[in-house]
Amino acid sequence: MRKYLLKRVFYMVLTLFLVATITFFLMKLMPGTPYSNQEKMTPQQIRIMNEQYGLNKPVWLQYLIYLGGMLHGDLGTSFQYSNQPVSYLISSRIGASAQLGFQAMVFGVFFGIIIGSIAAINRNTWIDTLCTILSIIGKSVPNFVLAVLLQFYIALKLGWFPIADWGGFSYTVLPTIALGVGPLAETARFIRTGMVDVLNSDYIELARAKGLTKFGIVYHHALRNSLIPLVTLIGPYTVALMTGSMVIENIFSIPGIGEQFVKSITTNDYPTIMGVTMLFSAGLVVVILLTDIVYGIIDPRIRLSGNGD
Amino acid sequence: MKISKFAKLGAAVALSAVFLAACGSKSSSTSSSQVLNWNETAELPTMDLSTATDVVSFDTLNNTNEGLYRLGKDSKIEPGIATNTQVSNDGMKYTFTLRKDSKWSNGDKVTAKDFVYSWQRTVNPKTASQYAYLFSGISNADAIMNGKKPVSSLGIKAEGNYKLVVTLDKKLPYFKLLMGFPVFFPQSEKAVKEYGSKYGTASKYMVYNGPFELTKWTGSNLSWTLKKNNDYWDKKNVKLSAINFKVNKSTTTSYNLYQSGKLDETNLSGEQAKQLATSKELVTRRGASTFYLQYNQTKKEFQNADIRKAISLVIDRKQFVNKVLGDGSTVAKGLVSTGLAKLNGKDFADVASVKSAVETNRTEAKKLWAEGLKQLGVTSLNIQMLSDDTDSAKDSTAFLQSQIEENLPGAKVSVSNVPFKTRLTRSTNGDFGIVISGWGADFADPISFLDLFTSDNAQNNGKWKNAEYDKLIEASKTTDASNTTKRWNDLVKAQKILLNDEGISPLYQQATATLVKSKVKGVIYNAAGVNYNFKNAYIAK
Repeated sequence: MRKYLLKRVFYMVLTLFLVATITFFLMKLMPGTPYSNQEKMTPQQIRIMNEQYGLNKPVWLQYLIYLGGMLHGDLGTSFQYSNQPVSYLISSRIGASAQLGFQAMVFGVFFGIIIGSIAAINRNTWIDTLCTILSIIGKSVPNFVLAVLLQFYIALKLGWFPIADWGGFSYTVLPTIALGVGPLAETARFIRTGMVDVLNSDYIELARAKGLTKFGIVYHHALRNSLIPLVTLIGPYTVALMTGSMVIENIFSIPGIGEQFVKSITTNDYPTIMGVTMLFSAGLVVVILLTDIVYGIIDPRIRLSGNGD
Repeated sequence: MKISKFAKLGAAVALSAVFLAACGSKSSSTSSSQVLNWNETAELPTMDLSTATDVVSFDTLNNTNEGLYRLGKDSKIEPGIATNTQVSNDGMKYTFTLRKDSKWSNGDKVTAKDFVYSWQRTVNPKTASQYAYLFSGISNADAIMNGKKPVSSLGIKAEGNYKLVVTLDKKLPYFKLLMGFPVFFPQSEKAVKEYGSKYGTASKYMVYNGPFELTKWTGSNLSWTLKKNNDYWDKKNVKLSAINFKVNKSTTTSYNLYQSGKLDETNLSGEQAKQLATSKELVTRRGASTFYLQYNQTKKEFQNADIRKAISLVIDRKQFVNKVLGDGSTVAKGLVSTGLAKLNGKDFADVASVKSAVETNRTEAKKLWAEGLKQLGVTSLNIQMLSDDTDSAKDSTAFLQSQIEENLPGAKVSVSNVPFKTRLTRSTNGDFGIVISGWGADFADPISFLDLFTSDNAQNNGKWKNAEYDKLIEASKTTDASNTTKRWNDLVKAQKILLNDEGISPLYQQATATLVKSKVKGVIYNAAGVNYNFKNAYIAK
């Protein structure tokens, strides 16, 4: 197990290194400068600025300087927010995104499992059809449409929740629902498919024959077995949600990281692009590792140490 | 059992949500107090006036700090820190007497040395200021920016604490207007040194000398408050006790907040503006930016004036601004925007307009087009049109493409919608046939626009050249610089030359539709340079 973990960690570091390298060189291929007033600056002024920021150096040298800084925990300073360290921009913004993403995931998975299970147990009845229709709608309605509708009807017309802003839990309810409907629909679909398979298997027959209650069968046997495909899905999905959704954050005026990333690319804010990309990648590789470990816990048949790794 | 735990948690979450929502809806802001709730469409990136580049930073700096002058209604120069200004006969030397009662928020007095320090800091190449070019014309500024002279050689000297002397390399007829732009405001050396790399990155790492003080800004958050500065020399004329700014990037959101009374102002999208066209609270903020077509005159087909004129004449600009843009933008009368500069009550844009450069006349267009093609010896023309990739830019190019192709036989327009930075790079490199460009004035003087199309200007991407035009612009800066009327006439003539030759085709002047509660009074909006001045704003009963 230890050997396996060490090997995985090594691959993680290698992956991050490759991501950093590829992103850095791709980023340098983008046309334009990181200066927001580029429109009004003459080529000569741009040349002087490049000298100040070391952007006139060969790209490979800039790359080495960046890597050196990163190893010392220095992600550089942002161009959009002059003098603001990228590490501060990320740390002050990631909290809201992470909280929202996490809540949306918990909301989506929790209700997704319930709806999926209900559909599977009642398969080929009107309840199943209703659940399927709901998940198709949940999957196909874009979250920003839902967000705007929720904001207008629930917040403005009914006044149950704040329209926008970020303060306490009440501010998170509508964005959580808007963002969580996607994973809800996805979870429901996975659980239903998985559970329908499982409910047809011999050991469920056996469990029934033993006289277990319907709830006991579903909870102890069927649900646990249909969770495995879901685990594969949840990991990366959680990272994607926790690293921010530009659209939802904009609609509810949430100080998250989602828009920062998109804006850093459109403005050529090199240090911010690198910082946020590395954060996303690190989150993803860690979650992939955790997912593999969780497999073993849920399903004893998948044992890490036993597969010759 | 785990499921029941989940169920309990779910119920608790639902209940607490309802409870908290009930709490939240009780607290609403009081409208009778002098507190303004203003919408902002983007974050505040910095408070360091030497490195600021965006509207939000400049607006905030303008309301929390003060320079020699403030710009009042219609960019009128109003007193700031300067109480008296003397200009030498040749217009090359300005002597300012400063008021003694202007204080920084740390208690220090604002002195002439703060101006000297601030200006030297901005032109220092090490500061990497993107607006330092505005200093061009002040003695030695260009050489300092190019690293050829020391910053101490800049043409600004403090004579004692309250006298400031500025010397120029060339006449700057708009010099006083520039003084209202935050890049020329003073900075406290003590504060810059004390806060070091954190200077201007949060409200607490900054000192203020203007009508308001900035509070509650962390450097990356979406809300901040301007609090009345009780040490401000003219505090009796500052009526608002606070202005709360909230960043809402979606106009749907800000409009909902406006309707619920949480905001006193909101921006509108083109679509919203069309629906609210009859609202009494609709206020259209006319910008000082003009959008126009630049023709790449290194290409043979665009050296032909008939071809350029034909293209311009087929565009129905009225339909374009009303149906495609719909945000209050108006048809451009020329390059210089309407409302920017006036002389004897006459607007430059009206005096210097050339009807044929912005009208629609398809019969004439077809005639010119046919002649142009004949001169070029071709029967059809492929036009490569370059623009941004925003939704409105895409709508604009689609509109122009159809207008040109439908009305000019043999014209084939291929459109490239690219990101802003790519558009700029391709424009600079001359990699386009026609490009839709925009320009916003830094200060309220026609030269802010007209400088662009001199032969050697770096921003003249289409490389249109006219010796007479160059001569007139040069005269406006030298021989005629001190004579307001002569200078004005030079600039009027220059724009007419540009338009008569269709060196560019003006399209529209940008505007932003907003809603402002009718109780809000006294807000000053200037299109050029800094937009908002809240010094005298108040809430009526």
